[in-house]
Amino acid sequence: MKRHPMLKYLKEKGPAGPRMPTIMCPGCGAGQVLNYTLHAVDDILREDGIKKEEVVFISGVGCSSRLTSHYLEFDSGWTIHGRALPIATGALLANPSLKIIVFTGDGDAMAIGGNHFIHTCRRNLNVTILCINNGLYGMTGGQVAPTTPAGIATTTTPYGNIEEAFDICKMAETAGASYVARWTTAHPRQTIKSIKQGVRKRGSAVIEILSQCPVHKKASAVDMLRELKATTVSIKKTSCQPKGKTPIGVFCDKNKPEWTEKYQEIITQHSSRENR
Amino acid sequence: MGKESEKHLLSPGVYYLQGSQACTEGAITAGCRVYAGYPITPASEVMEHAALRLPQVGGRFIQMEDEISSASVLLGASWAGAKAMTATSSPGFSLMQEVISFAIMTETPLVIVDVQRPGPGQGYITTSQEDVMQARWGHHGEGSIIALSPASVQEMYDFTIEAFNLAETWRSPVLVMAEETVAHMREPLTIPPQNQIEILTRKKPQDLGIPPHSFLPYGHDIVPPMANWGEGYNVNHVSLVHHEDGNVTKYDRKTHFDSVLRIKQKIEGNVDHISRIETRFMKDCRHVVICYGSVSRTAVEAVMEARRECGIDVGFLRLVTLWPFPETKLREVVDNVDTVFVPEINLGMMKHPITEALRDRCKRIVSIPTLGCLHSPEMILSKIYEVAK
Repeated sequence: MKRHPMLKYLKEKGPAGPRMPTIMCPGCGAGQVLNYTLHAVDDILREDGIKKEEVVFISGVGCSSRLTSHYLEFDSGWTIHGRALPIATGALLANPSLKIIVFTGDGDAMAIGGNHFIHTCRRNLNVTILCINNGLYGMTGGQVAPTTPAGIATTTTPYGNIEEAFDICKMAETAGASYVARWTTAHPRQTIKSIKQGVRKRGSAVIEILSQCPVHKKASAVDMLRELKATTVSIKKTSCQPKGKTPIGVFCDKNKPEWTEKYQEIITQHSSRENR
Repeated sequence: MGKESEKHLLSPGVYYLQGSQACTEGAITAGCRVYAGYPITPASEVMEHAALRLPQVGGRFIQMEDEISSASVLLGASWAGAKAMTATSSPGFSLMQEVISFAIMTETPLVIVDVQRPGPGQGYITTSQEDVMQARWGHHGEGSIIALSPASVQEMYDFTIEAFNLAETWRSPVLVMAEETVAHMREPLTIPPQNQIEILTRKKPQDLGIPPHSFLPYGHDIVPPMANWGEGYNVNHVSLVHHEDGNVTKYDRKTHFDSVLRIKQKIEGNVDHISRIETRFMKDCRHVVICYGSVSRTAVEAVMEARRECGIDVGFLRLVTLWPFPETKLREVVDNVDTVFVPEINLGMMKHPITEALRDRCKRIVSIPTLGCLHSPEMILSKIYEVAK
């Protein structure tokens, strides 16, 4: 059997035994996102002359964050619920040359870590944030998330969700991120291209990836992928958003100063030569 | 982070500084090059001095959006190879407890300074020793902690350096349990020549000749060597119960028990190397005052006066390290006394481990509590006189 080309970046086993199969449920979109991300990183390592040890993965807690738990043949941290971005901030302050990719989910980034998400974008720290949005809390049993559409019933909204859903991309752009895009797990090539653009961007890059949770939505993964295609529309193809459809595409791609670059100017100005 | 220049470290000599500034200077001397914080009275001066000083030595300072993120920054910074610190006060210290627990499980060296203020709630903004139990028991789960208790501006400098050395040596979060009194106090600080200051750094697999392919991030020794991010060791930091290689899916009861026990024992089992006490007038004393932090300044005066003016045979013992609790050292010097007096700026907290340690070594334990301010020597002296006369 032919081996998957991205397995070279995974720890299939270690001294304590096998690490595969992953914890992901059958049909989960997180595995697809990992595949797209590793393809993007593979391209960047070949094309940009970046060393593999300069790439670091950080995540918080949740289904999406499990990608970083112990499978990656990279430096990584599987950390505290909601706190992946402050932890990435610390790593960047210690070593600004690191290429940091954060896997997060809609609950991790928008609820418990919402404040850190806003302020990381505001500071425009050099980090690529891949937010896998499945519209609920999968790991804990399918509870309502800030991204769950109004009206939907979940285990904690048995009578239907009365709250409006967060728009992650609008939040990221408003807060000051340099690069903002939304794709779905049904758009592999576009997602890979966006991840490459995000990692290459100096500053905060937020890529929301709409994903399927066949287990808690009680649907087939294939049907859900078809639905992701049917319910989204490229912002390139339409100037006005058709009712009921979610816009996908690159919403924002700016060049503006990044936090560690600006801080370097302070160091240069106020430290002695040996300390720069 | 490059080699630190001595040009922007304080040159040897005597300075007149605030405790907060001495703390930051100690951190910089110890090699701290990342500082993250959030404003809170009475700890903000540590942070303001860090904002001024860190870029001068090539380090980086950031003001975060809250105390949770401030403590979280230290994790990433430490993994990426920096020595990192934050300072806060009691309500902020409450918010940092999850990070402390996480740092214990991932064995991450970092330093947190808690300039204690009274609680509960907003309490007040004066001095306090009300977090000494939170320091040990505030974080969830098993696992021990190292906590130091400075009593002077000099010790704010010295103990912050020691805190970094302990953090790096034991791969542990280390707490400097300062009080508003010592943080806001101004008195002379002597900076010794750099070559007389011991600076320790974490043991790395490279130093031990362990190549990446055979590196176990949680193995090799009771204190595992630590590879920094960016050095090709593919370290996966995890806080779920894990095997020595970081594997988190093969759960079994023995791995759970053994791994958590090791993390606890590396601290508790080395209490005699880690923890210190100071004693005076202890030879054959009938009574003893046991204290820590700024209270020791008042207490030693009360003890001297009780001996000199009242002829009461009372000794003095100060806990320099609060946690791990130096029980053996206490039992070595307190053999058979009538009364143990424990003055604290709380309603009697360290009184409990002291009682446990000296359960068969004294007739009675007398707590001397106060809240929000230092004891006067008379408060301690009158209690000694009342009991011992």
